[in-house]
Amino acid sequence: MFANAARSRLLPMSLPFRYFGAAVAFNVAAWALLLANTRELNAFAAGLGPVFAALHLVTLGVLAMAAVGATLQLLPVATRQPVRALWAVKLAWWVLVPGAALFAAGAAAYRPQLMGAGAFAVVLALTVYGVLLFANLRGARGMRVVVMHGWAALACLAALAATGLALAARYEHGLALDHLAFRNAHLVLAAYGFMGLLAFGLSNFLLPMLAVAPPPPPRTAYIVLGTAVAGIAAAVAGWLLPAALLGLLAAGLHVVSLERSLAARLRAPLGPAFLLVRVSWACLVASLVLAALMALDLAPARAPLVFGLLLVPGWLLTFLLGVLQRIVPFLASVHALSGGRPLASSLTPHRLLAAHAMLHLGALVLLVAGFDVPGAAAGLGAALAYAAFFVYVLVKARHRGIRPRHQPAAA
Amino acid sequence: MAFDRAISRQLHEEHAATLALWGRVEQSLAAGAHDAALMREAAAALAGEIERHFEFEEAQLFPRLAAAGEGDIAQLLTEEHAAIREAGARFMTLARAEPPPAELRPLAFELAERLVSHVQKEEMALLPALEDLLDEQADRELQLAYAS
Repeated sequence: MFANAARSRLLPMSLPFRYFGAAVAFNVAAWALLLANTRELNAFAAGLGPVFAALHLVTLGVLAMAAVGATLQLLPVATRQPVRALWAVKLAWWVLVPGAALFAAGAAAYRPQLMGAGAFAVVLALTVYGVLLFANLRGARGMRVVVMHGWAALACLAALAATGLALAARYEHGLALDHLAFRNAHLVLAAYGFMGLLAFGLSNFLLPMLAVAPPPPPRTAYIVLGTAVAGIAAAVAGWLLPAALLGLLAAGLHVVSLERSLAARLRAPLGPAFLLVRVSWACLVASLVLAALMALDLAPARAPLVFGLLLVPGWLLTFLLGVLQRIVPFLASVHALSGGRPLASSLTPHRLLAAHAMLHLGALVLLVAGFDVPGAAAGLGAALAYAAFFVYVLVKARHRGIRPRHQPAAA
Repeated sequence: MAFDRAISRQLHEEHAATLALWGRVEQSLAAGAHDAALMREAAAALAGEIERHFEFEEAQLFPRLAAAGEGDIAQLLTEEHAAIREAGARFMTLARAEPPPAELRPLAFELAERLVSHVQKEEMALLPALEDLLDEQADRELQLAYAS
């Protein structure tokens, strides 16, 4: 296991922020690539090409990237365990960023060899992250609900990496496998498994914390987790209708329990971040309804594309962007070294974030409705607005004398 | 979150009272009202919190946190205490003034955000750490020290 464990649970600012910065940049790249290739969107059926590349810029470059940064900062708070090795956090970033870029470039250029090298680098980076996550969860002492979600997400990550490597080997070396079954398993393990379970778990303490509300009852959270894991297992086994129904039950319980928690909050205004969170929940539920309809052969021909839009930019990306816009100013304010503690609100460009929300939600509506060019253009506008928000926080933090700490202060 | 240590539970209850009070202050301000009685209640509660709760944490708890390797979190919480003390001193003066000065409203908003953010950090970082750091004997001693 890693040596030289950090002693504090508060990571140096530069560590989570390098992941968030890369995610923001990949978000712009993904939407720009999609806008340049909107004609291929309707014909997209998961084969190589620019749309596949844009999808993986989002899943690997934005979602996985931000998930690594966010969990390594937030999970130690829940588990009461510091991250085991700061150098490993840096190493994972240095491997994941070029890996995701290479994978997407190879896919966009129809060059499986490049894609294979990128996939290998991504799996390597996620393995380093997986070991860090394993070490943190193994020594966890608090918030068992979050820890159990972490274990389930870690198991999905391992299976996700295996199916991803198998699919890359099929493209690169012609490995014989049931492509449709592996592709579906890969999609479910990535979206509902690794990302989804992390989102569910962290939501149980992060959203109540942000809203100053009581957390949902642990019993409900365990039922949600068990039902979600059963649904994921059913989907991987190819039982799509039971999987969709179990997923709907889990998603419904999750949303209802968190809405009850938010209703008991002590601060009235939730802000635009929670608008995005609520839209993301609606997209999650809609994706599962559509999955059930597809399993019953009742969905229209365009349903697989709409399902993908609801699942990735609709649920996961929207949720991430909502949560990240609260975490980034909060962490920047925490890392102020001197000159008084700036308020998180003073580091938040509210109008810019309102514009981002309008553009992002507009992009989702337009793409789902089939208006691909204006939808992708709005998505790119939203991604640029979000990048401007991130730069604003960094510049403002720098202006206020905040500097990234290279190491936590000694005890 | 459920806490096993009595001192954690007591601090948690005081945090909940602070959040409830300053939540009311925020709601009143957001509605455009000036509730002089509420402002005076908030000022009095803040004075008590600074004198008792903050000083106890700084004298008894933060050193334990630092000794356990969480020195940066102890430093962060101490600096937030200083920022709250500074804004709080101005607020306590302004809350007594009639008619209320124009600076009172933005200052109350600032204090509400500072207090809520501070409580969030203590609930996330300080109280869970105490659960690990304190045994029953230390917990009793801290209870006595806080009560005295």
